[in-house]
Amino acid sequence: MSNVTTPPMNPNSSPPRKINSHRPTYSRFTQQELPACKPILTPTYVISAFMIVTVVFVPIGLASLFASRHVVEIVNRYDDYCAPYGSRSDKVRFIQSDADKTCNTTITVPKHMKQPIYVYYQLDNFYQNHRRYVKSRSDQQLRNKNYENDTSTCKPEDSVNGTVPIVPCGLVAWSMFNDTFSFSTNNNVKLPITKKGISWKSDRDHKYGKDVFPKNFQNGSLIGGAHLNESIPLSAQEDLIVWMRTAALPTFRKLYGKIEVDLKAGDTINVIMQNNYNTYSFNGKKKLVLSTASWLGGKNNFIGVAYLVIGGLCFVLAMTFTAIYLVKPRRLGDPTYLTWNRSPAGH
Amino acid sequence: MSNLHPQQRPDTFQNSSSQRSISSNSWRASVDFGSKGVRHGSRSGNDSEGFSMSRREINDDDARLVYVNDPLKTNEMFEFAGNSIRTGKYSVITFLPRNLFEQFHRVAYMYFLIIAVLNQLPQLAVFGRGASILPLASVLFVTAVKDAYEDWRRHKSDKIENNRMASVLVNDRFELKKWKDIQVGEVVKISADETIPCDIVLLSTSDPTGVAYVQTINLDGESNLKTRYAKQETLSRIPEKDIISGLIKCEKPNRNIYGFQANMEIDGKRVSLGPSNIILRGCVIKNTDWAVGVAVYAGRETKAMLNNSGAPSKRSRLETHMNQEIMLLSFFLVTLCVVVSACAGVWLRRHQDELDLMPFYRRKDYSEGKVENYNYYGLGMEIFFSFLMSVIVFQIMIPISLYISMELVRVGQAYFMIRDDRMFDASSNTRFQCRALNINEDLGQIKYVFSDKTGTLTENKMEFQFASIAGVDYSGEKTEVYVEQGGYNIQVDGQVWRPKVKVQVDPKLLQLSKTLNDTKSSKEIYDFFLALAACNTIVPIVVNSSNPNEKLIDYQGESPDEQALVYAAAAYGFMLIERTSGHIVIDIQGERQRFNVLGMHEFDSDRKRMSVILGYPDSTVKVFVKGADTSMFKIIDESLNLDVVRATEAHLHSYSSVGLRTLVVGMRALSVSEFDTWQTSYEIASTALMGRAGLLRKVAINLENNLTLLGASAIEDRLQKGVPEAIESLRKANMKVWVLTGDKQETAISIGYSSRLLTSKMSQIVINNNSKMSCKKSLEDALITCKKLIDVTSATDDDASSVALIIDGTSLVYILDTELEEQLFELASKCAVVLCCRVAPLQKAGIVALIKNRTDDMTLAIGDGANDVSMIQMADVGVGISGQEGRQAVMASDFAMGQFRFLVPLLLVHGHWNYQRMAYMILYNFYRNALFVLVLFWYVLYTGFTLTTAITEWSSVLYSIIYTAVPTIVIGILDKDLSRKSLMAYPQLYGSGQRKESYNLKLFWVTMVDTLWQSVVAFFIPVLAYWKSDIDSSSLGDLWTLAVVFMVNIHLAMDVIRWTWLSHASIWGSIIATCICVIIIDAIPVLPGYWAIFILGSSGLFWICLFGILVASMIPRFVVKMFMQHCKPCDIQIAREAEKFRNSMEVTRSGEIEMHR
Repeated sequence: MSNVTTPPMNPNSSPPRKINSHRPTYSRFTQQELPACKPILTPTYVISAFMIVTVVFVPIGLASLFASRHVVEIVNRYDDYCAPYGSRSDKVRFIQSDADKTCNTTITVPKHMKQPIYVYYQLDNFYQNHRRYVKSRSDQQLRNKNYENDTSTCKPEDSVNGTVPIVPCGLVAWSMFNDTFSFSTNNNVKLPITKKGISWKSDRDHKYGKDVFPKNFQNGSLIGGAHLNESIPLSAQEDLIVWMRTAALPTFRKLYGKIEVDLKAGDTINVIMQNNYNTYSFNGKKKLVLSTASWLGGKNNFIGVAYLVIGGLCFVLAMTFTAIYLVKPRRLGDPTYLTWNRSPAGH
Repeated sequence: MSNLHPQQRPDTFQNSSSQRSISSNSWRASVDFGSKGVRHGSRSGNDSEGFSMSRREINDDDARLVYVNDPLKTNEMFEFAGNSIRTGKYSVITFLPRNLFEQFHRVAYMYFLIIAVLNQLPQLAVFGRGASILPLASVLFVTAVKDAYEDWRRHKSDKIENNRMASVLVNDRFELKKWKDIQVGEVVKISADETIPCDIVLLSTSDPTGVAYVQTINLDGESNLKTRYAKQETLSRIPEKDIISGLIKCEKPNRNIYGFQANMEIDGKRVSLGPSNIILRGCVIKNTDWAVGVAVYAGRETKAMLNNSGAPSKRSRLETHMNQEIMLLSFFLVTLCVVVSACAGVWLRRHQDELDLMPFYRRKDYSEGKVENYNYYGLGMEIFFSFLMSVIVFQIMIPISLYISMELVRVGQAYFMIRDDRMFDASSNTRFQCRALNINEDLGQIKYVFSDKTGTLTENKMEFQFASIAGVDYSGEKTEVYVEQGGYNIQVDGQVWRPKVKVQVDPKLLQLSKTLNDTKSSKEIYDFFLALAACNTIVPIVVNSSNPNEKLIDYQGESPDEQALVYAAAAYGFMLIERTSGHIVIDIQGERQRFNVLGMHEFDSDRKRMSVILGYPDSTVKVFVKGADTSMFKIIDESLNLDVVRATEAHLHSYSSVGLRTLVVGMRALSVSEFDTWQTSYEIASTALMGRAGLLRKVAINLENNLTLLGASAIEDRLQKGVPEAIESLRKANMKVWVLTGDKQETAISIGYSSRLLTSKMSQIVINNNSKMSCKKSLEDALITCKKLIDVTSATDDDASSVALIIDGTSLVYILDTELEEQLFELASKCAVVLCCRVAPLQKAGIVALIKNRTDDMTLAIGDGANDVSMIQMADVGVGISGQEGRQAVMASDFAMGQFRFLVPLLLVHGHWNYQRMAYMILYNFYRNALFVLVLFWYVLYTGFTLTTAITEWSSVLYSIIYTAVPTIVIGILDKDLSRKSLMAYPQLYGSGQRKESYNLKLFWVTMVDTLWQSVVAFFIPVLAYWKSDIDSSSLGDLWTLAVVFMVNIHLAMDVIRWTWLSHASIWGSIIATCICVIIIDAIPVLPGYWAIFILGSSGLFWICLFGILVASMIPRFVVKMFMQHCKPCDIQIAREAEKFRNSMEVTRSGEIEMHR
């Protein structure tokens, strides 16, 4: 595929130099003769390239599919049944009222789930990547208590009455998710949920200050979401840290906690939820997700399928090119293909 | 330039300042110059200025008044510049504002600026302050540093210049003064070998006749000596003792270095001054002990400084096409922005009542007492804002940075062209020069080559070959024996003096010339060689040779023909050894003879001859005339000896048919009364203030008649090395080569054969008419013949079917600028070769315009003399040969080189490479930027149309500065699709540029479709893979950043043909640099994406996504490329394969395809 050509040394490389000669000093660089490798893709290389892709992609695709198949995932949408049936405005009124928002459901485990089982909440149609939203935060303030007043980017949730800064400020923190879930097995044994370590360690250590405590949070007339314990520093408020990692897409999951025991197939789990978070005002959906994880993450067949398709396609292409090369061979560098040889009067 | 005197110079004896302008006007009348003006102080263009000036007295309003030796009075009004020069543009204080001001003249920078300013509005702040200004700032900074460095160097050289010393008359004594302190009106004294500090009018010199010799090499590159004269009225005065006071009235400063018009009032007399009385700044005094003059123009008003302008600026064909595609891209940009803003409008409208409470929108601001809308200005404004914001986000869709990359690439390409060992001319020690930096890639698309003959195809080193004396042809075998003995020499003070150039001689003629006796033929030979030695403007200069006992006589003059004749005369024993304005000394066969030069009529292109009046020692007076055959036979008295005239004519014909340049020499004895008549009329004419040139010409014509024919000389102007091969290569490369020459038809045709422009197989069509009707008829006939010939032979070999058109200047007068042009074009485009003979300089431009205005094909003009300037400027690409005829052509050209044959490597190799590189680079840059924009665009569709970018703002800014900028520039400079050897061996490969194979609208669309596919892959594979996962936007953004950067670099890598270590370093280095940048950005804790890349990098899905994207995105491109390569291989592809598998090349048809090393 590649050979390094060595251009012949220029005979003029060391000419008898006259004084004041303007002759350019000879070097391979200035004469554009640096040693170079000039790969040419011959049919063999082309077919091999396709075959290599096939050989690499198909196993990876199969492995991905296999991994994805082994992931057990339970998705339970609860925003609908946890609110009174009726129009949207009813639901909004309900969620804004002081009524009891406890809600129960049971989930059946379809397959054996190995610990750790990740508990996610999933929001649909929630634009955590909306421009107004992502900009409304102050990373300085979260990190360093001396920057408490650094709230200029946090509007419209920057301060109380325009004077006292809110910590953590901004729409992102203000809209923090505040539904809660607790799980118990059929025989009323509580399933413990670990909430430690659900956020990135780097965030806890460096991004959120150990001496920064919530202040004036959710004190305004409009409550957006969760309240924070003012005696716990931000670096320990893992739910906040998770929430503040804004999601890339309008449908997203966030880690709620981990269940660190295995669940057996057929187990039923009772879930008690506090349905506090208002997604009704914008037709958002809320789902509870329990999922195991594979080396590839959650349940998603796409990568596996995509790799298989690419691998398969390359196999087809390899065959096609083989056919082309066999049916219509062309000697490499065959001068009869040159335009001026094809049409004699082509001058 | 091809006639007797290569240039019509102003430096004449006795102030015949504007003779030459008559001729320039005559061809001005016949051909319109076209729309292009003349740049620089080009001689041809400015001739007409001189012409009008000579007829017009200088108006007081237009004049500058200089009081000689009275700088105070002269500078009373403070209107004249001092002599200090400033080529530096900036000072420390003005640098910043001025440099910025100049930089913002460029559209690209304005675009950056507008975008940056838009971004500063709080409602539109897409990027942070720093990020938004960075691209502009980095570009400004780099340019400013470059400008500052250049300016610093200029300042340094200014300082040296300004502090040079010159002696200036102060209080009647010459004192040393710094150059910068010299004022207009001051009297300056310059000694031998000193440089002139400002433009001065000569007052007196060390020579009693007031002659000063100057070298103008700094001004126009011509190394021969020129003569300048002090006026009779001033030359005897010695400034220290004899106070000169006078008033010089001269024209306002202008850049014409060959023209000067003034008069001087001295002692109540009015004397007119011409260009031969002024010495310009930068010239050097030679062979003259001292010269005194008065400063008339100083500092920036000197002609040298006024001519100090930069290279011409042109825009390349490729760039013009590129701008059309950029318009398309702007259209795409607007479309994207409209889509985004319309969708944003719809989204806002649909969620109108939810906006107040939506946690991610929160229109209402409750924080301060009263509740009001926060950052919401109504639906209409929001749509408008999102349009502007999308313009900011998608700004790099228009690849403005491409202009800057192109400039850098062109600088790199120019560097390689200049450094090319194979375009270095060792004989003149000149490198290739790249004067225009904008049209490198045009060199790869040339279809028509217009070439001058003399000095371009030929060496313009004249060699005396044959002589015909009194009807006897001396064109026998040449002998080298005599040359080896050292040629003719004379003994002076025990030293041997010999001519610098040795000439081969005809032994028979030498024998005859040595044995002078009283026979008639001996006399004729005597007169003939005397005429050759005397009838010229050559100045002999004695120079030392390596041998201390030997001195060489160097004949300095402006016309190579004259030099050749004088050297020839010297070789036959008629050695010119001294010339002053009053007499000449000729050593005739060892005997010194002194002749008085009583008068001289310079060459002008209207008379096409020159004459000199010699007073013999025995006080007889004879006039010798030398000129072109056409003009000489008219004034020769045929009745004297008809046989001789006929025989000479026959000899002339045979000389010119072997490509020699011929001159005819004649003579007449003047009686005393004739001489007196001439002298009076000459004096009247030469002191006339109005129409001096015309009067002098009339005097000359009256004198030059009834001549006795002495003989004719034949001078060979040899073809330059490699010209036939070069022309063959150019023709093989499907370029049409036209030769435009001032020579006679026979000479032109014979040169045509010897340069392989014409072959014996070709059919020739000759058009040679002198009326419009006959021109029309012969054009029509020619068209019919031509069609027939092509029809008959179209199937057979190419050379037989090709037709050569030979047309002369007289016919062209009736064709150009009339309706016949169309027919000529039709005819010429069918002909493989066109030879135009006897054409005037402006006709050359007219011929170029004929093609340029009618086709889309690129034209190139190449020439070396002042008469080629108009043609060089008219053509798309102008190439100047820096040869014997000064620097006029070079000054007007875009590229300059030493030899015609360098045109082949220039076009076939560098032109080809430049075109391929630039074409690819433009397409690649379109792709690179559009890919990034599209990825951003797809994401915007998932953010409620709110212009959020998952890719961090720093990455989007650095994308075109660091992540992807370097490889495209490096590849644009270094990549070579084919080796020099193949390109030279198969000139046909040049066709890819002529056919616009590497850049066209189709390729643009293909690239855009490919871009679309790649962006879809890059965006949607991660989206679908991470759908419904807990991926955060920073991580996904990092994935996209890396994916896109890897993709564009691998895309480039797929197209790189020659992998040198530099290509490797730039491509893989960019990828590494990107990774480092992303890591650095993600290591800043105050950015939202802190540590994302590390978390991401530890997950398998990321790597699988990245790998999948890279493979999937490249598959269609790879498939199409491989398919085309196999099934529809282009010439370049095949040649590349042949280069690689060389063995397979030998089996082919011989002759046509062989690799010669």
